[in-house]
Parts: sequence; C-alpha cells; structure tokens
Amino acid sequence: MIIERAQIITNRKLAKDIWKMKFDTPKIAKDVKGAGQFIEILTTDHWQHPLRRPMSIASFGEGVVSIIYKLFGESTLRLSQKRPGDFLELLGPLGNTFSEWNNDSYPILIGGGVGLAPILNLKYACDHHNIEHTMIIGAKNAEEHFIRNEPNNQIFLTTDDGSIGEKGTVMGPLERIALSNTNVTIYACGPTAMLKVIKSFALDHNIQAQLSVESYMGCGVGLCQGCAIHRKNSTINERSYHEKFSLVCVDGPVYDAREIYFG
Amino acid sequence: MREKSILADLKVSIGKELFENPVWVASGTFGYGTEAPELVDVDRLGAIVTKSITRHPREGNPPPRIVETPSGMINSIGLANIGVEKYIKDLLPIYEGLSTKVIMNIAGTDIQEYVEIIEMMESVSSVLIGYEINISCPNVKKGGMEFGVDCDMTATLTEKLRDITERLIIMKLSPNVSDIASIGVSAENAGADAVSAINTVVGMSINAKTGMSDIYTNYGGLSGPAIKPVGLAAVHKLHQKLEIPIIGIGGIVSGEDTAEYMLAGATAVQVGTANFRNPGITENIIDSLTLYLNESNRSSVTELIGKVHTYS
Repeated sequence: MIIERAQIITNRKLAKDIWKMKFDTPKIAKDVKGAGQFIEILTTDHWQHPLRRPMSIASFGEGVVSIIYKLFGESTLRLSQKRPGDFLELLGPLGNTFSEWNNDSYPILIGGGVGLAPILNLKYACDHHNIEHTMIIGAKNAEEHFIRNEPNNQIFLTTDDGSIGEKGTVMGPLERIALSNTNVTIYACGPTAMLKVIKSFALDHNIQAQLSVESYMGCGVGLCQGCAIHRKNSTINERSYHEKFSLVCVDGPVYDAREIYFG
Repeated sequence: MREKSILADLKVSIGKELFENPVWVASGTFGYGTEAPELVDVDRLGAIVTKSITRHPREGNPPPRIVETPSGMINSIGLANIGVEKYIKDLLPIYEGLSTKVIMNIAGTDIQEYVEIIEMMESVSSVLIGYEINISCPNVKKGGMEFGVDCDMTATLTEKLRDITERLIIMKLSPNVSDIASIGVSAENAGADAVSAINTVVGMSINAKTGMSDIYTNYGGLSGPAIKPVGLAAVHKLHQKLEIPIIGIGGIVSGEDTAEYMLAGATAVQVGTANFRNPGITENIIDSLTLYLNESNRSSVTELIGKVHTYS
C-alpha cells in the first residue's frame, strides 16, 4: 500500500447519481492484486473532513485505476465536481480480493446499487480468462442502471419498480440460475440488506458465497479499529487480533458468507 | 545572525529520558506500531505510545464504532486489545529492533489491574522506556474514567505504580472534568514523571435523516482538529500549576500545531487522529516543525515551552 497523488483522467456520470472516475496512478495500479480491493481517497486537503473515503476498485491495469461512486453526501458531491487534470491523493490498494474461482464451479456475480464496482472488476477477470458466468445487477429503477439488460448473454438486470429488466430484487434470477446449476459460487457486493438475504440463501442451499461488505471506515489500514464487523469464529483471524469482530479494512472487505454475521 | 544552515535542535527530555524530537504518536491511533511499515518510518518519531493494553484481551464495542464529525471524528472502540501476555510475546521482540522509544499505554478497571499489568511488564526484560496510564477513556463502562475525574483516586493509583517501576510514568488526563489542573497536581505529587493531555472529549453524533445515533454506545470520544482549542487550554492550565513536563494531545496535524502546544506549555506532543488520514503524517510534522524553528530563528525546540505571550 502506498499514498500516491493521482491525476484524474476522466470523471463522468453513468446514471442517476452514479459516477465513474478514472485515475492515472501507476504505483497503486501496479500493486492491485485483484477484484475486491479498494482505495481510500482524500476528497479535500482541508481538515474539515479529516478522514479519507473508501471506494472499491472497478477496474485496474496499465497504470490506471477506476472507481464507481454514488452521490451520497458532501464528499461524493465534491468528487463529482473534480475535472480531468485535477489531482487527488489516494491510499491503496487496500483489503483482500475475491478468491480465485475453481474451474468446476459456475460463478454468479451479483451487484446491488453502487456495490457494482468490484463485481464489474470481477466480470472483466472472468471475460479475460474466458470463464462462463452470470451477472445480476439490482437497482431501484431504470435510471440507476447503466449496463444493458442482456439475458441472452447472461446479464440480468432487476429493478424494484420493473422499469427495466425483471421486477423485484436480484433474488429472482439468483434463485432460478443457482438452483438450475449443480455447482455454483456466488460473488456479491451491495447493501447489507441484500447481502443478508444472499447469505441465508447460500447457507440454506449449501452454496459457496463470497460477500464484499460495507462498513463505515476510518484509516483503511487497521490503525483506528473503527470498521469492525461481527465475525462468526476465529478461523479467519489475520491482522485484526479479534475473535468476535473482524476489521473490514484488513481482513476484508471480502468474506466467506459463513464467516460473518450481519447485525 | 544565526547560521541558517544549522537545523534547530529538536531534542527534549522527560524524566531521565532524552527524546530525539517532541513528536510522538498517540495511543490508539497507531495500533501497536507495526501496522503500516510501508507508510511511515517509525524510527523518525520521538516515541510511539502503543494502543491501550488491559490485563486480558478485550473485543471492544460492537459497530458502529466511528463517525466523522466537523473537523474531527467520534470513536467508541472500547479498548479492543490483545492483552498483556500477547503484548509481551508478540510485540516486545519487535520493539527490540526499533531505534525509536516505545511507551506502553495501560488501561484497567481497578487499581489492581494496573498494578498487575506493570508487575508483569517489569518481570520481563524489554526496551520500553515508560508507561502511559490511561485513566481517561470515555468508552468503557467501568473504571478508566472514574480515576481520571477524582484527585484522590489519581493520587492513589500513581503512588502504587510509582512503587513498582523506575520507568517513566505518564498519567493521561481527561478533559471531561471541571478542573484538569488539580488532577495533574495530584499525579505530580504522587510521583508521576509527566502528564499527557487531553484524551478525547465526550461527544455524540446523530443522523437527522434516519433519526439514529451514529455510534453504538451513543457517546464516544471526539478527537481531531475540532478539539485543539480544548487541548491547548488544558495544557496551558496544567503548565501554570505543574513542575513536571506536559505532553500535549488534541488535533495536532502540523508543525505549527506542535509549536502552539509547546508555547502553551507542552514539552512534547502526541499526534492522534491525523494518523488515520496519513499514517506517515508525523514525518511531515517533524519536518515542518524544524522549518518553523529555523524560520523563527530558534536553535532549540525547548525555547518554545510555555513561552506563549498572554494578555494577563
């Protein structure tokens, strides 16, 4: 992990309140190990906001890292006002990655809301390695989607109001596809409510699932101990020293569904 | 004219210890000093104060534990730590290899716990040069804070610890009291080598949109630049009453902040929340403090201590 002052290459709106920013950041890009990792962005040099903002890496390679972010508050609004050529200070890459898939297992990639970023990153990896897979993306309505609904290419969109793709949550396509294949692995990132349902589905059907979780985060490197999540046992104790809690920044953000509790 | 090319002397002493510079890292904001070797050269620091250790490991408080607030943050970690045995086994050997000075922060729920921890530490050989005694954590239900708000309890605890160690004893004071100087005097009279001030200020954060409290324990410790004025006032008040050195803490992010704390009366400072933004920020602070001293034509950082100009 390093701190790098990175130049913004592009910063554009993808859908309602969803933006993508691309950085020229050779040192960090070179260090990225895979989908799931994140960076911490200093959104202002002023101390009115002392903490960086964690953002999942949506793609990386050839000196470039991109993020997808949702306008949520003052900090993300400030990000959206940045222009190509501006600089931002990044810390990264941080956290762990989705584990390597095994060849016998069919990957189902699920992204909810802005949780799409690491899932897209994983999709690039699947495409690159010619691994057949399904991707399911959920959002509230068509305005929030920026990917095309292509059921024939195994890309399924869902919306709460049915304005594009299937009406309902990601669970519709997930149940259908997961239960019609004998050996699948779920890779998911999104709001806690979504991960909670996916977790219990996976456990009920004895399906492997790797979940990238959200947590309010401070330093991103294990110093502040702020981003704790309830853990099920001590088998994944790496750097955060705890048995009951795990620090998402150093042990996560990707966990086996069996290893964590959602409060 | 003083020769500009000669860098100002940053050395300061506390008790029998001489520190290369007055910029330390505060307990609980730098882990055990081993977390981010890529981002900071700990050997450049005046000292590291390691995360609070209790007799037995503690899991800490459930999430949410932190939230950013204007120019600061609130935390309620709840003294999550590995316990003394693991500290001795895993960390002391690592500290052997550092050239910076290491101070162990200790927390307990009663006097016996503090005594037991120091007895255990004194029974093994280590490079530790001292103990910072946390009598001021706002985030644990029992103990901690109760010592920090009571002069007699502070004195009794300090005396007991003084009896069992020759190493530095630094009592870490709470700002959540009506008269911080009187607590400092109690610590000094009972044999403390120094006091550090301030620990975090009790605070709360509420999300108007959801109506929820932002922290699981509701109240947490406010830190960061937001509390710098509180820390400066505490250090200045302590300096009026104490002979022993004061270590200033609270919202320090730059060399100038360090200078301000020293002008108020601090002999050294600890950098806390700023480490969360940049674990290597203390190195920048040391550089900018050197620049400040050279530009203000001072040959030693000690020339700053307590030299604030006041109106009365």
